[in-house]
Amino acid sequence: MKIDGDILTIDLNLSMDEIVTLEEFVRPRIEYIERIETEDGSVLSSSALLSLLVSIKKTRPEIEIPFLEKEQTISFASGTVHWKYHD
Amino acid sequence: MISQEELKAIFIEEATEIVEKLDVDIIRFEENSNDFELLNEIFRGVHTLKGNSNAFGFTRLGEFVHHFEDLLDYYRSTKERIEANNLELFVESVDVVKEVMGCELNSIKELPQSYTVCLENIKKLLDVKKNKIPAYTPQESPEVLKNLALEFDELPLFPDEDALEQSIKIHQAMQTEALNLYKITLTLDEDCYKRGFDHFIFLKIVGEQAKSLESFFSMKNIQTIEDFQSTQNSIDKVDIVALTPLVYGEIEEIFEFLFDHEYKITPIQAPPPPPQKEAEKEVETVCKSAANNNTETVSSTNANAPKSTIRIDTYKVDELFDSVGELVIAQNFIAQNREIRSIENETINRTIEVLSKITKKIQDRVMSLRMVAIKDTFEKMKRVVRDTSKKTGKEIHLIIQGEETEIDKTMIDSLSDPLIHIIRNAIDHGLESNTFEREKAGKNAEGIISLRAFHKSGNIVISVSDDGRGIDKERVLEKAIERGVLGENENLTDAQIFALIMQPGFSTAQTISDLSGRGVGLDVVKTSIEKLRGKIEIESKKGEGTTFSIILPLTLAIIDGMLVQVKEEIYIIPTLCVVESFRPEKEIVHAAKGKGEFVTLRKECIPIVRLSDVFNLDVAKSEPWESILVCVETEGGRIAIMIDELLGRQQVVIKTLGKSLARVREISGGAILGNGDIALILNVDALRPLGGS
Repeated sequence: MKIDGDILTIDLNLSMDEIVTLEEFVRPRIEYIERIETEDGSVLSSSALLSLLVSIKKTRPEIEIPFLEKEQTISFASGTVHWKYHD
Repeated sequence: MISQEELKAIFIEEATEIVEKLDVDIIRFEENSNDFELLNEIFRGVHTLKGNSNAFGFTRLGEFVHHFEDLLDYYRSTKERIEANNLELFVESVDVVKEVMGCELNSIKELPQSYTVCLENIKKLLDVKKNKIPAYTPQESPEVLKNLALEFDELPLFPDEDALEQSIKIHQAMQTEALNLYKITLTLDEDCYKRGFDHFIFLKIVGEQAKSLESFFSMKNIQTIEDFQSTQNSIDKVDIVALTPLVYGEIEEIFEFLFDHEYKITPIQAPPPPPQKEAEKEVETVCKSAANNNTETVSSTNANAPKSTIRIDTYKVDELFDSVGELVIAQNFIAQNREIRSIENETINRTIEVLSKITKKIQDRVMSLRMVAIKDTFEKMKRVVRDTSKKTGKEIHLIIQGEETEIDKTMIDSLSDPLIHIIRNAIDHGLESNTFEREKAGKNAEGIISLRAFHKSGNIVISVSDDGRGIDKERVLEKAIERGVLGENENLTDAQIFALIMQPGFSTAQTISDLSGRGVGLDVVKTSIEKLRGKIEIESKKGEGTTFSIILPLTLAIIDGMLVQVKEEIYIIPTLCVVESFRPEKEIVHAAKGKGEFVTLRKECIPIVRLSDVFNLDVAKSEPWESILVCVETEGGRIAIMIDELLGRQQVVIKTLGKSLARVREISGGAILGNGDIALILNVDALRPLGGS
C-alpha cells in the first residue's frame, strides 16, 4: 500500500489482516483520497477486498477506482469475475 | 508451480493453434455460410482467445476479439443468414486477429490500420443488427460511419439478456462429452472469512480443472464505509458458471466444508445436438466461395468431430523414437547373430520370432506418433488460393485430394512455405492471364488447381497441378543460354529443362508481381524440400498445364536405403534417388582424358563415380565392367556409382554424425546395422566424378 498525495496504490493480493489494515487506513482518510490505483500485475484474490472497494465507492462515488469501474477481472486462477459496484 | 513465463509460453502455443484454426475455419465457413456448427466452432475459438488474451494483459487483442465474439454470437444465436459483404468482414477480422497477436507478442506499440477500421465495422454491424441504427448503405461516408460507431461504442456487454443466462448459453455451446457445465451459487454466511472461507478460494479450486470459469458477484448489500466491516461477508450471492471435466460428486467435494445452505450446484445439460446434415454424409463435397473460387474436397470425415488427444512434447516423442531405434538394432543383432541362430532350441527360436514381431509393432506404433494428416496444411492452402484468386482476378476451382495422407510432423512444419509459393506461382504464372485467353484455348473460364497427396513407392508425393498454359520449354532454354547456365548445344531431357526454373534468379515471367516471378522463390522451395531429404519433379505440357510433385520420405528419422559394399565398407544410398543398378558391358564404358569415365546407357552418357576413390579406400583398381554401377539422380544430373556388391534394401534409423564427420559433404548421416556395424549414408548430390565437373 502506498499513498502519494491523494492517490492510494494498493496490491490486489492482500491477506485478511492486510485488508483490515487497509480498511482502517482508508476509513479516516476517505475524504482526502481521490483515486485508488492497483499495482501492475497484481491479481484480486479475496472477495473481502472487492467488498471493501465497493464500500469505498458507495461512500464516495467521486473516488476513482479504475479497477473497480471495469466491473470485471480475468485471471488464470479465478477465470472471469464480474460485479456491479453500483445499485 | 508454473512460472509466468511458462504460462505465457502455453498461451502463445494455444493462441497460435486457435488462430491457425480460425484461419482455416473462416475460409471453410465462407464456402458454406449455412454451417452453424462451424460458426459455433469459430465462436468457441474466439471466446477462448478473448479469455486468454485478457488474462495476459493483451488488452488490444482482448478488446478486438471481444467485439468479434459478440458479432459471431449474434449470428450463431439468431441463425440469420450472413450477407456476402459481412462474410468478408469475418475473414478480415481473422486477419486482424493474426496481425494484432503478432503486435502483442512482439510488444509492438503501433497497431495495423486495419485494426481500427475493422473494429469499427464490427461494432457498426452489431449496432445495425440490434436495430440501434439504420442499416449502412454504401452512400454513407466513412466519417458518418465512424461517428455512428463512436456514438454506440459504450453499449453494455449483454444488452438484451441477463449476463448470467448469457454466460450459461455461451458455455452450453462449448460443452462436449468430456466437459460438464455447472451453475454453482454461493450464499456464504457473514462469518465465512472467520471460518477461513473466501469466494475466491472456491473459484481457484474449481478453476484448477475448469476449461472455462465465469462468476457474477452480487454487491448490492455492501454498506458504506461507516457500517462496513471487512471481516464480515456482505456479498449476498455469487453465481459461478464452470465448464469442467469434473463430475458432480467431485464438484460437490470442493464445497463439502460449507454448510448445506451456503451452496447450490446445478448441472446444466448440453443443448440437443442439431440433426446431422446431409452435407456431412457426403463423401464428396463441392463448395463455392464468395471469391468465386471453388474448392472440391474428396474426403469422408467430419472436420468438426472431436478427437480425444493429449499434448506431448515432440522432444519426448523423439527420445522415445531413438530408444525404439536402439531396440530395433538390438533385435536385429539377435536375429542375425550366427551363434544365436545356431542354437537348436525351439523355445528360444520362437521367442526370438515373437520378439521380432513385437519390436516391429512397437516401431510402427511409435512411428505413427510422429505422423499427422496433411489435412491442416491443405486447409491453409484454401486461404492462399482464395487470396491469390482475388489478387490476380482469376477464377479458380480448387481440388483437394488425399488430405488424410499422413506425414512426419517435422516435415509438415516445413512444408507450408514451399507449398504456398508453388500454389501462388501456379495461379499467377501457370494459369492463363484472363478468361478470354482460356476460352480461346478451349478451356473453361475457371482455372483448375489440384492439390494432391498420396503414397508412391514408399514415399509421399504432394503435387500441385494447374490446367494452365504449361511451361514454355523454348523460353526456358533461351533464358538459360542467355544467362550462361547452359551451352548452346547441350541436349537436355524435358525434366532437366523444367528443373532449370528452380535455379536461383531464374524466372521467365514477363512481368514481376508481388506474388511470384522474381526467381527468388522456386530455388528457395527446392532448397527447403531438399533439407527434408526430398526432391521436386516438374511435368508440363504446353497448353495443358504443369504439375509440381514434391517427393518426400515417409519420415526424417528412418531412411529407406540401398546397402552397398566397397571392399569391407558398407554404404547406404537413399533409394529415393536410385534409378537402376546394373553390371555394364565393357563396350559401353568409355574414358575421356581429364574428364574421367563414362557409361552409355540408352544413349545417355553418365559419369562414373568410384566410391573407393571418393573415400580413399585402399583397393586394387578394378574395371567398371567387373563391378556394379548404381545409377542415381542428383541435382547435377545422373551419375553411376561404382561399387563391389549390392547387399539389399533396408530401412535404417538415421544417426547424426559427430562434428568431424559432419564436415564430410559426401556423407549425410550414419546408421547402425543389425550386426552392429556402422554404415555411412551417402549424400549423392555431393558425389562428383574425379576429373569431371
